[in-house]
Amino acid sequence: MGITGLALTWETRIPPVAQRERRVEPFREQVGTQAPAVDASHREDFELAAACRSGDLRAYERLYLLHGARMKNLARNILGSSADAEDAVQETFLKVQRGIASFRGQSSFVTWSFRILVNTCYDARRSRLRKKEVASEDDQPETAPRREPRAPVAHPSLRLALETALAKLTRHQRDVFLLYEVEGFRHAEISGMLEITEAASKNTLFQAKKNLRQMLEPPRAHDAAGAR
Amino acid sequence: MNISCNDRDRIFEDGTPAEWAALESHAATCAQCAEELRAWKSLSAVASELRDYSDRPALWPRIQRSLAQQTERGTHRWNLRRLLPHFSISWQTAAASAFALLLLLSGAWLLGPPRKDPAQSPLLRNQALTDVEHAESAYVQAIDKLAAQAKPQLQNPGTTLTASYREKLLLLDSAIDDLRAQTGLNPSNAHLRYQLLAMYQEKQRTLEEILEEKR
Repeated sequence: MGITGLALTWETRIPPVAQRERRVEPFREQVGTQAPAVDASHREDFELAAACRSGDLRAYERLYLLHGARMKNLARNILGSSADAEDAVQETFLKVQRGIASFRGQSSFVTWSFRILVNTCYDARRSRLRKKEVASEDDQPETAPRREPRAPVAHPSLRLALETALAKLTRHQRDVFLLYEVEGFRHAEISGMLEITEAASKNTLFQAKKNLRQMLEPPRAHDAAGAR
Repeated sequence: MNISCNDRDRIFEDGTPAEWAALESHAATCAQCAEELRAWKSLSAVASELRDYSDRPALWPRIQRSLAQQTERGTHRWNLRRLLPHFSISWQTAAASAFALLLLLSGAWLLGPPRKDPAQSPLLRNQALTDVEHAESAYVQAIDKLAAQAKPQLQNPGTTLTASYREKLLLLDSAIDDLRAQTGLNPSNAHLRYQLLAMYQEKQRTLEEILEEKR
């Protein structure tokens, strides 16, 4: 699909910048006002990890209540299907339970869980790709990437365009964009999830947004004139 | 804070709140930066289109069931990782060393010289060899008797055929001598013994044919 086919004018399709719930944008961040919240968050994270380590299934339920929706949303954006996303979330919880004894607290428990989720999603993608290769070797009709119906949104065509553009990014660019812009994680958290530096996370987001902008923006007026 | 258009990308990548504020101020008087800033922020806004936090109530019960099943399986399985922390590091090291020693000894036993098979003890092998040598000696004596009978004929071959038999016998004797020398060096080699037996049988046949010719 051509990139220009996805283009919509920014004025018509971009809603006003929404207030972020979990992360303050850099240009709105106020230093020093979030320290108590961060402490409380760290304490909760520590307690959650300890409860999960003790084998308490209610702790896993708490993890699900706090982060399950974001986990599933991230998995769906990586895998493109709700069913696959649910499988990935379930597999992630099982891996967390199996590996909790080895969790040493180098990163936060939630960060660690999301790292497992991202890896699980890419394992699932690879597995799906292998199955597709085997199917095409057997002369089966090729299965198109599944994009299932999702909850109605204000701009369905915009979402489709964004999904298509995201699929063309590199894996790291896509992951960082989804984690930062969609799920609202901070670069410090993303660096722990993807095992990269914070600076690399910032740079990757910059490159991702630059590429997305190129793919999504309509042809400039002078470009169109040049084409004529 | 004074910033220019050249600072824009750097601020987009890793700008401080103060730099973002300065960029906003700069954009008020710079159309290009205003457009870039609006587009940049719009990408953050458009990302919200990918948020779908609608819950499916069946998912948690499914996960809970699988977690419970895994816990159940885990308690029935001997889990080394859970067991090891109960032992000090010195005990773990000692256990690892003992295991390594056990592996080493097992390897040495497996790769060492072959063990003697009771069914093929040296006594029995020597007895078998003695039997073969006795039989061979008796066979040689019998063939020597035949050779003695054929000796006059071979010393004065009356026909071309007898002369050929004599040549053949000389070759066979030479081969027999070689094989006997080799069996002397390696008396247990059954293959050499069979070859030697074949040579004796051939010599026996040849002598019989010579004696047959005489009749």
